[in-house]
Amino acid sequence: MAVQAAPAPPVTQRPRRRRRGVIAQVGVRLGQMVVVTFAVVVITFLLVHLVPGDPARSILGQRATPEAIAELHKQLHLNGSILTQFWTFLQHALTGDLGSSLVAGSLPVTSVVFPALRVTLAVIGCTAVISVAAGLAMGVTSGVSRSGVVDSGLRAIMMVLLATPPFLIGFLLLLFALQTGAAPAGGWGTGALDDVRYLWLPSIALSAYLAPVIARAARQSVQETLGQDFVEAAISRGLPTRTLVFRHVIPNSLLPVISLLGYNMGALIGGAVIIEAVFNLPGIGSALVSAVSARDYPVVQGAALVTAVLVILVNSLSDVAYQLADPRTRVQS
Amino acid sequence: MTAVAGASPEFRRLRIPTGRVAAKRPGLAATVGGCLLALIALACIFVPIFWHYSAEAIVAPALQGPSLAHPFGTDTVGRDVFVRTFAGGRVDLAVIAIAVLVSAAIGSLLGVVAASSGRWVDAVVMRTADAIIAFPFMVLVLAIVLLVGTEATVWSLPPGLISLLAAIIVTDWAVYARLARGQTLSLRQRDFVTAARVLGFSSSRIVVRHLLPNVVSAVGAYMVTDAILAVVTTASLPFLGAGIQPPAPEWGVIMYGGATVLQTAWWITLLPGAVLAATAIALSLLADAVLAKIGGALR
Repeated sequence: MAVQAAPAPPVTQRPRRRRRGVIAQVGVRLGQMVVVTFAVVVITFLLVHLVPGDPARSILGQRATPEAIAELHKQLHLNGSILTQFWTFLQHALTGDLGSSLVAGSLPVTSVVFPALRVTLAVIGCTAVISVAAGLAMGVTSGVSRSGVVDSGLRAIMMVLLATPPFLIGFLLLLFALQTGAAPAGGWGTGALDDVRYLWLPSIALSAYLAPVIARAARQSVQETLGQDFVEAAISRGLPTRTLVFRHVIPNSLLPVISLLGYNMGALIGGAVIIEAVFNLPGIGSALVSAVSARDYPVVQGAALVTAVLVILVNSLSDVAYQLADPRTRVQS
Repeated sequence: MTAVAGASPEFRRLRIPTGRVAAKRPGLAATVGGCLLALIALACIFVPIFWHYSAEAIVAPALQGPSLAHPFGTDTVGRDVFVRTFAGGRVDLAVIAIAVLVSAAIGSLLGVVAASSGRWVDAVVMRTADAIIAFPFMVLVLAIVLLVGTEATVWSLPPGLISLLAAIIVTDWAVYARLARGQTLSLRQRDFVTAARVLGFSSSRIVVRHLLPNVVSAVGAYMVTDAILAVVTTASLPFLGAGIQPPAPEWGVIMYGGATVLQTAWWITLLPGAVLAATAIALSLLADAVLAKIGGALR
């Protein structure tokens, strides 16, 4: 009997890697964005449904009349099967209708959430400006410095700032404002220019979180850039250190720093929520707090949905921008 | 993208830093951080037992400044802030421990399962994780606390504890799932796993003996960082009317209690705040040291 050759073991081939074009890359990213956004809508919808018990009863209390509960069911779209409910929720969400608040004169949720979001975004924008300036200054100094003392000192400051809860720094700043009168102790202005007076202190408090993050990234990025051949070439050409740092090192280290801003959007909104409570700013944090204490489910749902979609949007945009700006990061798949 | 540093939520994007403050002296940072944390934990255990006031009793006139009898002063109703701070620390440290351990266990399990299951399980678990990570952490935590309600309690736990733990665990597992899945996928490509496979080891043995220990080390490193997030969240929520409910002592509750009299009685807010910051710094030192030690493996 002829000995049969054993079947060759299956050759485990790695999947062939193929470089995708920029457009396809962006397309894939946008596709992921749509899927995650859909998942976010599902979770927001489920928020009210996963909790044991009847949300209408928990809002109205144990002694509510059946009529009042039926009325609230209708208002919260809690009638019908869970699929019909989800379909209604999805349709409304896609058309920008997030329901109406249970308090505040049944105002549409969008007119509660969006004005508040404007204040929060103003704080975040101001924070970004302060943090990029302070973070780059600290990070680049620390990265370029050949003195161990400067580098260690700056890194210790960054670590302490990063580990201190922002609301604690907020309190220290608030105390400073109360003692010196340098800034109003919380509240919000009457116009765009007036608002800035109220903005800068909360923004510094929030920067205590973002600036060290940027500084650490900048430091690492600068050190990586310093190790590259073109820097060595520039040094051997006799380029002055100042020119080297400002013309070559900083521009080449900037990209990861800028993209960090996008990635930190979610953390910044979360931080702003607390800082707003400390400084009494009428932002998304305050809207959430009053909604939570009034058991205003639609507003909480709306705020969660809007902020999550904003985070997804900003993250995806910064990813796409990064890929367009730096071809090295394009993922091969 | 460069791996960037961070002891906070940007870590959630899984840009694992590879050791920074502690890069040169991981031993020193770990010792300092560990001792500081141990000191705080011991104080939280023993101060409420041996201190001559209890955390709930009204023992002196309200708003007394720090003195020998009351090192952290007294609060708005005349309770001793010093003993309340350390009694509150028990709650905070317990919340960190439970929330981080449970999130890590659930998340790692789901992550490893996602990586080793079929496409659909993987897609469902990971897209859910992506969506949860997309919500600003604090916003989702607040929403869950609202839905669970702060009244729910069992045994004689402080009201608000159950909803707080539920909120942190529901939001936090997602990061661990991502981390564990990524680790599992990258480990499967490594030579030692291939070697084990070539040697004819069963896949369950490969998972248990080769994959899991390596996933656990990465997850463990993140747990230290995550603990900072957990303690800051726990102490922040009372400012938003959620979290542990007063009069139970907890760092955030004590600090919020002094917020309205900040200008005249700064000690009620700032001294417990200093203990909170010291805890976060100790954890941060430990996290840096751990990451510096295992950083190479995580690249």
